[in-house]
Amino acid sequence: MLINIFIKQVPESIDIEMDAKTHTLCRESIAYQTNPFDLFALEEGLLLKEKYGGKTRVLSMGPPQAVKALEESLSMGADDAYLLSDPLFSGADTYATSYTLSSVLKLIGIGDLILVGKQATDGDTGQVGPELAEHLKITHVTNVRSIKEIINGKKVIISKMTEKGTALLEVELPALLTITKTDKEPRTPTLRDIVQSKRKFIDIFDSKRLKIDTMKTGLKGSPTKVIKTFKPEYTSEGRIFPMSDSISLSILLKELQKKQENNVE
Amino acid sequence: MDFDINTDQQNLIKTIKSFAQKELNNNIIDDDKSSRFPMEKWKKCHKMGLFSLPFPEKYGGLNQSFLTTCLCIQALGFSCKDSGLVHSIVTQIICGIQLNLFGSDLLKDKYLPGICSGETICAQAITEADSGSDALAMKTKAIKNTENYILNGTKMFITNEPIADLTIVFARTNPEAKSFGAISVFILEKDTPGFEKCKAMEKMGLRTLQNGELVLTECEVKASSRIGTEGQGAIIFSESMEWERILLSAANLGKMEHVLDLSITYSKNRKQFDQSICKYQAISNKISKMKVQCELSKLMLYKAAELKDHQKRASMESSMIKYAVSEYLKESCANSLQIHGANGYMTETEIERYFRDSIASTIYSGTSEMHLNIIGKLLGL
Repeated sequence: MLINIFIKQVPESIDIEMDAKTHTLCRESIAYQTNPFDLFALEEGLLLKEKYGGKTRVLSMGPPQAVKALEESLSMGADDAYLLSDPLFSGADTYATSYTLSSVLKLIGIGDLILVGKQATDGDTGQVGPELAEHLKITHVTNVRSIKEIINGKKVIISKMTEKGTALLEVELPALLTITKTDKEPRTPTLRDIVQSKRKFIDIFDSKRLKIDTMKTGLKGSPTKVIKTFKPEYTSEGRIFPMSDSISLSILLKELQKKQENNVE
Repeated sequence: MDFDINTDQQNLIKTIKSFAQKELNNNIIDDDKSSRFPMEKWKKCHKMGLFSLPFPEKYGGLNQSFLTTCLCIQALGFSCKDSGLVHSIVTQIICGIQLNLFGSDLLKDKYLPGICSGETICAQAITEADSGSDALAMKTKAIKNTENYILNGTKMFITNEPIADLTIVFARTNPEAKSFGAISVFILEKDTPGFEKCKAMEKMGLRTLQNGELVLTECEVKASSRIGTEGQGAIIFSESMEWERILLSAANLGKMEHVLDLSITYSKNRKQFDQSICKYQAISNKISKMKVQCELSKLMLYKAAELKDHQKRASMESSMIKYAVSEYLKESCANSLQIHGANGYMTETEIERYFRDSIASTIYSGTSEMHLNIIGKLLGL
């Protein structure tokens, strides 16, 4: 079984600066981490490999420092790592990103299962996974909370979060699943894992190696045009209702009812 | 000089911090109250690979430099709230380093894999009731009897001894000689006849660390269990003390950084007379001093560790770092307790435990007074 897991390096803090001209992240002097949802996707992939055998590949698109996120994944147990890195990929929106990501799988093989975090904590769009599946013309399911079973390497049984609860689905492979927070905490690598992962190779692909149309990559290939970015101001203030008697409680109740009515309107 | 901590070292540090915060910081107050050694946490450290850092791969080690090992232990000292457990881990690594430096291939093949993995717990028995600072005045004897040695004597305050599977014992093989040539070193398994360990002693601080007495009565040890040559004990002692004093200082520096962080956070949040107490210079000066002491310690520590990585002697440097960090730690903990006021005096804020733990640092592995004597002697005074 071949499992491809996509990860993204995102800022550790929400206190970030935006480039006034490109309206993209100022990546200099920011501390990064692997997108938390991607770590849950990676954990699911590693558990599947341990249960059914096969191989896990971890892939990322980003500047050279994204190697660090791939190294972390390798130390957690991923077998191979690929970085898509080229100045021509920078500033990409979800369409250009998913197009670029799909191109590497067309070269190295899409495998049986593709796992991605349900969304990245910097962009929060949740679009890259589904768009990647569309580029590859395979089935996708979003908000997967648990991968229950793989049946004969042909189908996967999954539990998906819905607005009203959860749905149990049987999906034909190959498929792409976007993973939400699961109850399987991403593993902490041991010191031995970290030291030994340094011997694993990270294969770096630029636009030439990917043989892709660079008019469809990066800022140039992005149909999304960001007109303005700004930091929202938090203006709402808390109110204190002294809860010493039943009168205060009834006032609070009325306030809440009024707020609910306003929201409905 | 390169002061950068490289990416590989950063990854190890980050992992140790996250591991310690997740896995090692529960039940600390209860363990301290009951002086319980947290064996389940030791096993987690073993799984994490903490004991194997500086050892060759053929023994199951990770082949990391001593500087990297120090950085990792510093990270552990910072993030693990149980200073007793950290001290116990350092002792284990030091015993392994001693064996790796001076042991025969036979002894290394037999014992190092277990020490590296942590499955074999190790202790080092030097101190006796009447020989603390004057360690080489020990009375424990090892008299050669054809192929074997017969050991008799009593060791005191031995770290890890109550839980150890293996003990490195220093004993007098030549009663005539004063120090050089007088002492030899042996490695003993806990089941050796005549080897009797006593239960752990109650202490003021580092209460989870197990210290105990070891009684050797007509205890027969094979000559092949000797580490180094006969009479090499004083050389092994002074060399291994350099590694020990540096590594213990790494752990204490980590703790000092943690105490600094706690003091900054508390002094910012605690408001008196309508402002944070950090705005009063009486408080901020204490914290600024802690910061200066942390940074000075780092410079001395990394330099000393680098010297050992380059197979150089570091007698002066190891004594200076041991003296400085232990005194700084004690001062920082006392100041942090003062900054935390009544809250700091309460058990649950944990500062009082750090203060109690810090007292021992100026006593073990050479008292502060002895280190000043060593430094003076090396200066030709």
